[in-house]
Amino acid sequence: MKFFENVFTYDYSFPAVSLAYFLRYPNPYSRHVLTTDVIDRYVDPATQRLHTVRLHLKKSKVPAGILKLLPKGMGGSDSSGQSYILESTVVDPIEGWMETESRNVEWTGILSVVEKQRYQRHRTEEDLQALDGLSIDKKTEQTTVRTTVTFRSRLGQGKLLGRKKAEAIDHPDSEDEAPKKGFFSSLSTAGIQRTIELIGVSRTRDAVMKSKQGMNVVLERLRSGGIVGVLEGMRMDREAAFGPDGPWKRVWLQGSGLKERVYVDDEDN
Amino acid sequence: MAASIAPECNDIKDQETLATKMKLPRKYDTCFLKWYSEKYLRGNTSSNDCEELFKKYKTCLNKSLKEKGIDTMLDDARKSSSETDSEFLKKS
Repeated sequence: MKFFENVFTYDYSFPAVSLAYFLRYPNPYSRHVLTTDVIDRYVDPATQRLHTVRLHLKKSKVPAGILKLLPKGMGGSDSSGQSYILESTVVDPIEGWMETESRNVEWTGILSVVEKQRYQRHRTEEDLQALDGLSIDKKTEQTTVRTTVTFRSRLGQGKLLGRKKAEAIDHPDSEDEAPKKGFFSSLSTAGIQRTIELIGVSRTRDAVMKSKQGMNVVLERLRSGGIVGVLEGMRMDREAAFGPDGPWKRVWLQGSGLKERVYVDDEDN
Repeated sequence: MAASIAPECNDIKDQETLATKMKLPRKYDTCFLKWYSEKYLRGNTSSNDCEELFKKYKTCLNKSLKEKGIDTMLDDARKSSSETDSEFLKKS
């Protein structure tokens, strides 16, 4: 099993980030995402948390490095080049956090990839004062996200365990031989699993970076109000509370230093 | 917002706005975003403005998922989700 971990802070408020999460496709960094559907969505009456299950269909290829480790026929030409990702999220708007979990649905025996994220509202002392109306905003609200990705390959594991068991039953006395066999076969299986897991890790670094850039594009678009007026009401409320140049506007203005680079990159594509 | 896997559900899920030549979040998505940003995130968590639209969209979607044979695969994935979690915790 392998892990990937990353912590990142968005210079946007929690409501903006959580909205952008649901709105993040399509963006210039998500061209591989073909469709997105909401399979299930409800507010838990006990906790008032919003639970959402979505299904994304993405274009994907089995990496060549993994392909050559697979038995013939697996992940081969019959593969459609598309894969399903199941995404579950829970939002707590009162406590200001959102937890997400995305996992692949197929090929989980070869490589199961589970990405978990926790978005957490991060307020400074100044913010709280600003919200109380005691002072003008000095710092904006930020949202921190911790991403962990777990990679797990179980390729060959079922067979191996089955054989070990059989050996133990058939040759209870031959303790000298059995562990050796088990040792070598488990070594090679573990080796293949580790290789597959490592390939997953290296691809994920790139994917996590891209997804952040994608989120920033969406946040930027929300800021400029170009896609939909979803935030218009929110902004007006903030204006009503803080005046036309209140913290909300500043949140957007400080928003994303990535903006320029993002669009340049996009043109290159 | 992204297209639905079931093109026939797009009318419910969302709709094209030719004026801007951009795919805008459509019926259900629009409803959800409006509700989410204007009500839910502001603490009005018990409202359910989009319930009817979601039911329609879900009915349409479920039919398509069944036809594509994805429905059982998804059920399994959602069930095994909690199982693998406890397995992960045990082994690590």
